[in-house]
Amino acid sequence: MIKTRTWIIIILVLLAASGGITAFLYAKKAPGSIANVYVDGECVYSVDLSLVTQGYTREIISKDGSVNTLSIEPGRICISAADCPDQVCVHTGWIADSVAPIVCLPHRLVVRIEGNSAKEESEFDSVVR
Amino acid sequence: MNYFKIYAKKTIVIFCVLSLCLLTSCSTKRQGMSGLFGKNGEEKHTRTIFSMDTVMDLTIYGDEEVLDEAEELIKGLEDKLSVTDSASEIYMLNQEKCARVSESTAELIQGAIDLCDKTKGALDISIYPVVAEWGFTTDHHHVPEESHLAALLQNVDYSGIKVETMGNGNEVSYTVSVEENMSIDLGSVTKGYTGELVRELLLEKGVTSALLNLGGNVQTVGAKPDGSAWRIAVTDPMQPESYLGFVEIIDQVVITSGGYQRFFEEDGVRYHHVIDPSTGYPANNGLSSVTIIGDSGMHCDGLSTALFVMGLDGAIRFWQEYGDFEGIFVDDDGNIYVTEGLEGNFSPLKGRKMQVIRK
Repeated sequence: MIKTRTWIIIILVLLAASGGITAFLYAKKAPGSIANVYVDGECVYSVDLSLVTQGYTREIISKDGSVNTLSIEPGRICISAADCPDQVCVHTGWIADSVAPIVCLPHRLVVRIEGNSAKEESEFDSVVR
Repeated sequence: MNYFKIYAKKTIVIFCVLSLCLLTSCSTKRQGMSGLFGKNGEEKHTRTIFSMDTVMDLTIYGDEEVLDEAEELIKGLEDKLSVTDSASEIYMLNQEKCARVSESTAELIQGAIDLCDKTKGALDISIYPVVAEWGFTTDHHHVPEESHLAALLQNVDYSGIKVETMGNGNEVSYTVSVEENMSIDLGSVTKGYTGELVRELLLEKGVTSALLNLGGNVQTVGAKPDGSAWRIAVTDPMQPESYLGFVEIIDQVVITSGGYQRFFEEDGVRYHHVIDPSTGYPANNGLSSVTIIGDSGMHCDGLSTALFVMGLDGAIRFWQEYGDFEGIFVDDDGNIYVTEGLEGNFSPLKGRKMQVIRK
């Protein structure tokens, strides 16, 4: 009997897990707004923009001490300040979709909205700048 | 007891199978929806490359090894064409004023000179010392002294660049020379040219559908896997975080020049990086961005800069004279002008109006 009970618990856990994973996949994929920040190709920070309710800023400090300040608002993200010489990342402004990333070349930092099917379902394939 | 155990085990198996089915069906559906495959089942591969002072996003439908070759091609071009890398052919040319170069470098320089000529100097690849003086190459921005600019402008003249081909058959060599005190930079055509060469490589390797975003320049190969046109959003120069509209293209290139990304401010005045070769100052002829759509990346890249420098009237006259490309011009007040070939291919967003330019 004890064994059976154990099995039943295992079944329930499995079911809950599979249900949970399914729900997770669908829920996360739907709005399509996870912003990932990469430095040298390595993801150093992630935020689900669809879960952001109030704006905030966050500094990304690289190993060499260079700083990019992210501004995060519901559904969008930008680099509001940076100590890079060219300031192209700051001039790029807000992004709210996966069509184009924000790039800080001097710091080899890229901000992309992705992590789901957003790219394929987005209205545009690319953006010319 | 035993029956119950067996029943329990069966139930487990069934549940497991069911939940597995549920999971796999979800993921297959997702893959289908998200377009991970081309029309003949070619796999979608993407790659991000840091090269030529910019970020490149390559998306192809085909073998991943082709991306390795594309990356190699891009890195090879960068090694030859970089103006700052002391091992590059261009660096050597600028130092020695005369250098033997590879075929592709000779081809690009000659193509660029032809464009300088065609645009009557609105594009000038010998403007480099002036751009450097403004600090755009080193990011130590400052407004130069007028006398200094005037002195540097003395040596800005693309007609002082000569490309010589020597020998024949397999023994061809290329020599490029520039005048004393002259330095050139191919930055205004390199990314466009690179996109053109990558497109050729991909076609050679059997890739019939690809999207290459080379630091904001968009080169497409063929159509999308479903046969429809690529939809490329055009940045609004007034609000770079939003779009002006979008163009629909197949197997073509779209390139924008504007002063809205690379600029600095001094004493409250904004100075951008597109220098007018006739004045030595940032081009200020009434346009905030120029977008060129055409077949040749190099051509479109150079023209986007040249037409931005020319200003609206000059750009329109140039298009009316040659017309082997299409353009989207945005003036300093945000008005949009498109050439007539784009009617139906360019759609402005948010109910914005556009004026169609006709021949």
